[in-house]
Amino acid sequence: MTSMATASIAVHPVRSGPAHWLQSYVHMTRWELGSLRLLLPLIVALQMVIGGGFALGIGLFFDEIPVRNALFLATGVAVVTLITVGIVMGPQLVSNHKVAGTYDFLWSLPVPRTTQAAAWLTVNTIIAIPGMVAALVIADWRYDLTLQVSPAIVPAVLLTIGTATLIGYAFAHAIPKPMITNMITQLLIFVILGFSPINFPPENLPGWLAAVNEWLPFQHMAAVIRAALTEGLVDNVGRSYVVLVVYTAISALVAAWVIGRRD
Amino acid sequence: MTDRLESEGDWRFHARTVTKAFGDLLANDGITLQIRPGEVYGLLGPNGAGKTTLVKQIIGLLKPTSGELTLGPYDLIEDPDAARQLCSYLPQAQMPIDSFRARDVIRLTGMIRGGESGAVTARTNEMIEALDIGEWAETLGIKLSGGVKRLVGFAMVSVWPGRVVILDEPTNDVDPRRRRLLWEQVRRLGDLGSAVLLVTHNVLEAEKSVDRLAIINEGRLIAEGTSSSLKAEDRGRLRLQLMMVPGHPTPELPDFVQHNTRVGNNVMNVISETDATVGIGWAQELMARGVAEEYALGATTLEDVYIRLTGHTSSNGNATL
Repeated sequence: MTSMATASIAVHPVRSGPAHWLQSYVHMTRWELGSLRLLLPLIVALQMVIGGGFALGIGLFFDEIPVRNALFLATGVAVVTLITVGIVMGPQLVSNHKVAGTYDFLWSLPVPRTTQAAAWLTVNTIIAIPGMVAALVIADWRYDLTLQVSPAIVPAVLLTIGTATLIGYAFAHAIPKPMITNMITQLLIFVILGFSPINFPPENLPGWLAAVNEWLPFQHMAAVIRAALTEGLVDNVGRSYVVLVVYTAISALVAAWVIGRRD
Repeated sequence: MTDRLESEGDWRFHARTVTKAFGDLLANDGITLQIRPGEVYGLLGPNGAGKTTLVKQIIGLLKPTSGELTLGPYDLIEDPDAARQLCSYLPQAQMPIDSFRARDVIRLTGMIRGGESGAVTARTNEMIEALDIGEWAETLGIKLSGGVKRLVGFAMVSVWPGRVVILDEPTNDVDPRRRRLLWEQVRRLGDLGSAVLLVTHNVLEAEKSVDRLAIINEGRLIAEGTSSSLKAEDRGRLRLQLMMVPGHPTPELPDFVQHNTRVGNNVMNVISETDATVGIGWAQELMARGVAEEYALGATTLEDVYIRLTGHTSSNGNATL
């Protein structure tokens, strides 16, 4: 058995091509899921509590909430849960690897780096969706809403998670100091929650800030998801899709550059 | 097996004048070395000497400022994807295995390294048995002691080894019996045809395990050869070690002491064989005066060569009396 097992060791060729990429992606997804095994149920539960809790809590701002505003809030909360996984939790997990000194081993694994990013994206999607669903279900119950779920929810969610995760992935890998990464995630969540028209319409912002947000991805994430869950709340969702596709493509390119570079 | 590998082409690893600068600091300064398939090559040097910097360039985590790194027909600098496939790497830090069962993570790493499922399973069982870690095979990494984690990490990089296997301080925290098992497996990697690059500052352990070694200090390779060839210059010399009474200052050294280093309360003196008798007399006198507690006279070791060349003691510097 030993000689059979070891006969081909160290003589395997250097692999490349789509089959190698796909196989590496499957292995790395197993690795990422495996390495979160102890935390995964906790993270998913936490996302659900945050999503559901946020949906309930935000209603406390109002005595009586009109249906239109409730729909706006419910869908906004769902978007926030998706964004926070990609842009806050993802980078913090990368930081943990850097602090623990385990980053070099992961980066030395013999797989295309893009498979590691793709595996990360897959795991982030698995983590993010239950929180979003919890937020919507609880908001639906609490505010007595009727959500009109269309098939567009699939691309809308994937584009939102994709952009958020890739942005988070790129800066978490590009910034050498984990503490700086964690500070940036804090800042981003503050900006996203407070100054991006996700839970409120852009008209509520000062003109210049609304103009800035036109070119940032966050309000467009809210627009595509809202459009896929409601009717009559969002105009011109086509532009939002275009903006998000461009952001996803740019974030993917930046992430690929960041993980491919060597100091 | 080794013959078969060599017959398939020249798979020697070469570093040629590898230089890595971080600003004004030269972490590696013109390092040239080669390792043959089947060879266990030790890279020794004090902390900060540039060992890990060199290793990170081989595996593609850093890019040299200048120089060449090749393995067989592959340019490892130009093709970091190939570098990662051809080299397996055990870093000095602990492995990210808290959530995995030991057997699962060894096997998964073998699959990631390109092994076929059945062969990887067989080889995983073989490694678990050879390192005698069967009792922890189904235990989660988070529950393992540092030493067992280290053995699991070694199994992960050796289960489906690359043509070059880089081991950075592989025996840290490992108990003495399993250390021996680990060294047997390091030799076995050589038998399988891998070139093993062993990075350590544990000179005595390296001396027993490597075919050839290099000493690196302040970014430069300052000596290279077999353990015997490096010790040749110290032939005709002896090591006279004194264990001082705790806190007592180093006594005034007689002229016959050629070289002297103190680590803690342990004073190591290199003397000529012809001065053995006077050396013993001096040591006994120090004990009689209550200055020293013990002494030992023996052949010089690689440790003495290392001290002479680097001005540092290794991690075992005070453990040999």
